[in-house]
Amino acid sequence: MLRFTAVIGILLLAGFCQTEDTGARLLASKNILNQWLVEGKDLTVAYNIYNVGSSAALKVELRDETFPTSDFQNVHGKYVVTWDRLAPGSNVSHTVIVRPLQAGFFNFTAATISYIPQEDAQPQFGYTSAPGEGGIMSLREYDRKFSPHYMDWLAFAVMTLPSIGIPFMLWYRSKSKYEKPVEKKSKKH
Amino acid sequence: MAATYAAVICAFLVFLTFTVHGEACTSPQILNERVYSTEESFTASETAFIVEFALSCKDGDKDLFLHADINGRQYPVSRIIDGNNEYQVSWTDEHKTTPTGQYVIKFYDEDGYSKLRKAQRSGESLSEIKPLFDVQFNHRGVSTGPYVQTEVLAAFVGFSVWYMAYNAKSKIQA
Repeated sequence: MLRFTAVIGILLLAGFCQTEDTGARLLASKNILNQWLVEGKDLTVAYNIYNVGSSAALKVELRDETFPTSDFQNVHGKYVVTWDRLAPGSNVSHTVIVRPLQAGFFNFTAATISYIPQEDAQPQFGYTSAPGEGGIMSLREYDRKFSPHYMDWLAFAVMTLPSIGIPFMLWYRSKSKYEKPVEKKSKKH
Repeated sequence: MAATYAAVICAFLVFLTFTVHGEACTSPQILNERVYSTEESFTASETAFIVEFALSCKDGDKDLFLHADINGRQYPVSRIIDGNNEYQVSWTDEHKTTPTGQYVIKFYDEDGYSKLRKAQRSGESLSEIKPLFDVQFNHRGVSTGPYVQTEVLAAFVGFSVWYMAYNAKSKIQA
């Protein structure tokens, strides 16, 4: 019985600690919006930061240093940005476009965020969610799978042309040879 | 004597508040404007918009906290750290609900933004609240690739050739 009350007590205490006003609390996510990751093609990385706390977060800073320049080219958007204030219950989004320079597997890890939860408080540090490992397809493989293959089909058409065209020409010639006298005869009538 | 001192101090304080709370960034100029919007559905499962620009103010104002208004929705504008007064606003939306065509993004400073929110809450007309500046761009829409796959087209062409030949053959044999 004593143990039971102790457990209840701890639970209540935990609940109380959670409901205590702790200022701003930020949750951040990092997502890759592509279905396929392809070498040399645009890759969209979206960040979302939510303030689930009770007061505004100050000096919110998002820093993503997980895209080495040897593997990724930055096309649009910046990796290090800041917002002066993020009101409670609101969110901000940020997007970056990068281009993978090499095919293979890449582990997309978390970006970091820092913020001041309330006036005169120490800055808080946190991480966004991590998208995880993703396979980057080589451009050649992408072409084989997804490109419309216009040139391939054109080559196929040219190659099949003799085997269809030659019998057709022979047939057409004999057809016109036999049909002409019939037309002349019908004109005489 | 004390009263005149107080008046002078008061006047100075009023002057100070006016200069501090005066309009942030007078006659803003946008430099190096770059706009990106998703063009292929292959690139992203949602349409992403990125507007980047650098701001030059006549009064040399820097590191502002701006808000963007896009079709009635407000977004906080991110500021580039270590940038030369550079900003970025980015948002994502579903492909289907994102209209193509001209977009106008109105930018407000903190003063303008609070006025805008107040007007929105009370249902007043928003046209009186002038944005600090705006950026216009054209979104061409997201292509989902060709409507018909080439292999389907090739199969159709092959079938129609066979059908014509078969038709001609059955006419001769009839």
